[in-house]
Amino acid sequence: MGVRMLFAILVFAAALAVIASERADRTKVALVGAVLVVLTQTIDQEHAIEAIDWETIGLLAGMMLIVRVTEPTGIYTYLAIRAGQVARGRPLAVVMSLALSTAVLSAFLDNLTTILLMVPITFLLADALDIDPIPLILIEVIASNIGGTATLIGDPPNILIAGATGLSFGDFIANLAPISLLAFVVVTGMLYLVFRKRLQIAPEARDRVLELDARKSIEDEAELKRTLPVLVITILAFFVHKALGVEPATVALTGATVMLLLTRQSVEEALRGIEWPTLFFFVGLFVMVGALEERGAIQEVADAIGSLTGGDRTAELLGITWISAIGSGIVDNIPFTATMIPVVEELQGGARDDAYWWALSLGACFGGNFTLVAAAANVAAAGMAERAGRPIGFIEFLKVGVPATLLSMLLATGYIAVRYV
Amino acid sequence: MSPQRIASTVRREVWLLRDEDTVRHAVQKIIDVDVPALPVVDATGTLRGIFGEREFIGALFPGYVTQLGYAGFVPRSLERVLEKRPICAHEPVGKYMNTDHIDVDEDHSDTQLAEIFLHHRVLIVPIVGGGRVTGIVTREDFFRALARRFLELS
Repeated sequence: MGVRMLFAILVFAAALAVIASERADRTKVALVGAVLVVLTQTIDQEHAIEAIDWETIGLLAGMMLIVRVTEPTGIYTYLAIRAGQVARGRPLAVVMSLALSTAVLSAFLDNLTTILLMVPITFLLADALDIDPIPLILIEVIASNIGGTATLIGDPPNILIAGATGLSFGDFIANLAPISLLAFVVVTGMLYLVFRKRLQIAPEARDRVLELDARKSIEDEAELKRTLPVLVITILAFFVHKALGVEPATVALTGATVMLLLTRQSVEEALRGIEWPTLFFFVGLFVMVGALEERGAIQEVADAIGSLTGGDRTAELLGITWISAIGSGIVDNIPFTATMIPVVEELQGGARDDAYWWALSLGACFGGNFTLVAAAANVAAAGMAERAGRPIGFIEFLKVGVPATLLSMLLATGYIAVRYV
Repeated sequence: MSPQRIASTVRREVWLLRDEDTVRHAVQKIIDVDVPALPVVDATGTLRGIFGEREFIGALFPGYVTQLGYAGFVPRSLERVLEKRPICAHEPVGKYMNTDHIDVDEDHSDTQLAEIFLHHRVLIVPIVGGGRVTGIVTREDFFRALARRFLELS
């Protein structure tokens, strides 16, 4: 092992450790790591820039802009309130309705945004229903990570995989939506059984939810009429992007640009919706992984996995799935996926076998439910709950996250075995 | 001779809250003293934060209300809020105070105060000297003093 490879590994491992410990901002850590590997010529600047996946950055930026422009219209609040109202105060229906809305929104927006939109409304609904909001919020977080698995744009690991492989939106839906739907039904059902005693709703409280005037949540109807068609067309365009011959990032950025033209928001206001720390986190991450690749560390890992599995395809597929789930639970599914992508490429040895990518996606996305720090949406929900005066502890999350992850992973294992082996 | 600073005309006698005072005690004191907010200090007299009208509303209404971008669809009345949140009356102000440290030292300028009132949504600015709160400037008093001088000159 060369000195530079060792340095690339040390920088990356240290960055992962600090990110997992949450002792420093993850964007700062990733940028420091990137600067260190470039300054020491572990990867030169030209290759560092090449290592940045601009498809991923463009897709994320475009979707962030689209969400930012449409969010002030109140459309997402409207959907969340209606989801609570259609259940008419019946506990199982409340759980299923909120979980399904969260899963569907997560599939077409992103997990983090969905949770930021759903959690305050869930607190409001739980307050009206006189029940503990935490079971509902935990179920939503888990539904969000499962729902996001279904599409190319639903969860950052999928965006990363699409950026690296060119797999289409339709490929993701065809391969991941069936297992996501199954996992959603089974896991949400299990969580309802676990929490049902805390979700008993008094008859007089049921009507209180209906007092909420969902139509009043639409804050700017004119803006909604201008931007909603663009949102719908953008989502539809994702389904046919391959036939149109354009990349997902082009679809997202086109939608975002059309929205910028139509909205009454100023460009400055709309651009504030871009989570620059997240984008810079990705940039730093790509450069660090680029250094690992450049110095041969990724090849070493792939060789080690290959020798462990003896090149057996089934063992590799299931190994990738479970290692990704556990790894994502410990570090964060974004850096983990970014690291695993070149490893999976090496394992395939030049022969394209998409089953490997679905194994990685299922492990990384479902693994996002493992711990409180496994996905950004989990951390955001905990932060919002704490600010609302009802914090979610690490152990409290673990008690739900571990069984939910194990159950969904068992389903994923069966799915991979049946469909791809 | 330098002109009299506006701030020097608006200092008040300092009333302080302790971080362990209850919300009920704090609200009563704010009403009695007739200021929009009061500085909160710890047992050593060090400034820890501010508790006032905004913080009281935050304590009274459920925490998630601040996270709702808009609440025009919630028909809830104050009676129901008071019915559901009576406990906050007995909680310490330290739990609800604003801990953003926006204070000035003794030789602050009018421009510094203007900048604070423009950039921060604070109702009072504590004046701190020697580690202790020696006065406060309320936004209302600052505005009135400013307006008086402006009208005199124009």
